[in-house]
Amino acid sequence: MIRILLLTTTLAIARPAFAQDHAHHGHHDNHSHVYHDHNHNDAEQEASVETESAVSLYRTAEIDAALADGGSPVVVEVLGAVCDFCATAMNKTFGRHEGVKATYVDLDAKTLSLVLSSDDALTDEEIDKLVTNSGYKAKAVHRANHISGI
Amino acid sequence: MRRSRIAMAAMGLMIAPSAQARPVSYPDAWTLIQKTDRQSTSLWVHYTLTPKWSVGARSEWDRQDDFVFNGLQATYLAKRWFGENYQANVYGFGGIGVTSPVGDATFDTGASGFVGVLADWETRRLFTSYRARYFEADGLDGRFMQAARVGWAPYEGDTGDLHTWLMLEVDHRPDNSEEIGVTPLVRFFKGSALFEMGWSVTDDEPLINFTYRF
Repeated sequence: MIRILLLTTTLAIARPAFAQDHAHHGHHDNHSHVYHDHNHNDAEQEASVETESAVSLYRTAEIDAALADGGSPVVVEVLGAVCDFCATAMNKTFGRHEGVKATYVDLDAKTLSLVLSSDDALTDEEIDKLVTNSGYKAKAVHRANHISGI
Repeated sequence: MRRSRIAMAAMGLMIAPSAQARPVSYPDAWTLIQKTDRQSTSLWVHYTLTPKWSVGARSEWDRQDDFVFNGLQATYLAKRWFGENYQANVYGFGGIGVTSPVGDATFDTGASGFVGVLADWETRRLFTSYRARYFEADGLDGRFMQAARVGWAPYEGDTGDLHTWLMLEVDHRPDNSEEIGVTPLVRFFKGSALFEMGWSVTDDEPLINFTYRF
């Protein structure tokens, strides 16, 4: 049994061949106005506007289709997203909202990419609340004019 | 006397909401968990009510002490810390139910309950956790256990990839003939499913855990 465990361990160390190519969704240097959550108290959260580096929308077939259909892109920087369960939680929580047409959580970039049915389908505060309900924390919400690569 | 202590423990759980356990998912999500270690085999299904609370049904067969517990478990996320690259959590949990003898055990079926705490800290490459539980049942002496785990991921998997962890769990069960157990294991994680496989080198028993969220 120990030999089986050792073999399994060796196999596990080799990164799976089906890992995705993430080269196209890195951060960019230009700036944007973003919604930023400063409050580290779960119960009371306040927002302010700051200037930070813009981020990229992660492109999937679902997101591209939603954009082509006239949807509005949003990128949320998220704290605490370290595993696939985190991604599932946010994708499902946002996916249930009728104003959300497409979602994707990028663990490498630590972002949640959304396409809304319209720009006002969700306010920044509503997005912040949905991220909190998913079990995580929104660091910043970027709207269309401040997202690169669209 | 024992029944009154169980009742007090159950009341304590209801009075002190900041005292229940893992896991808590996102609201309206179900989670199915099967765990087998050197001590017991358990099946647990829970529903997440709010970002901080989950409730569910738990069935546990203690193979070392020959009893079966069937009951309800509540879990409370007491605190979560976030960072750019980490997350840490403290949970409290508790359950009440009925414990029955199996095999050669001779005690009568009766009420039982447990309380515990779980804490973890993880990044995408490192993991540590600690859990402790005190269990008490009519006809049985109280049972305490604690376990700590460390883990390392040989690579950072992104969304949808297969995530792999190499882990080591050390548990302490004062009532066992082998008080300290050491179990190396491998964790595989993809999407909504998590699978762990290991072997207790102290008890020569398997560890097989499975979790699925839906």
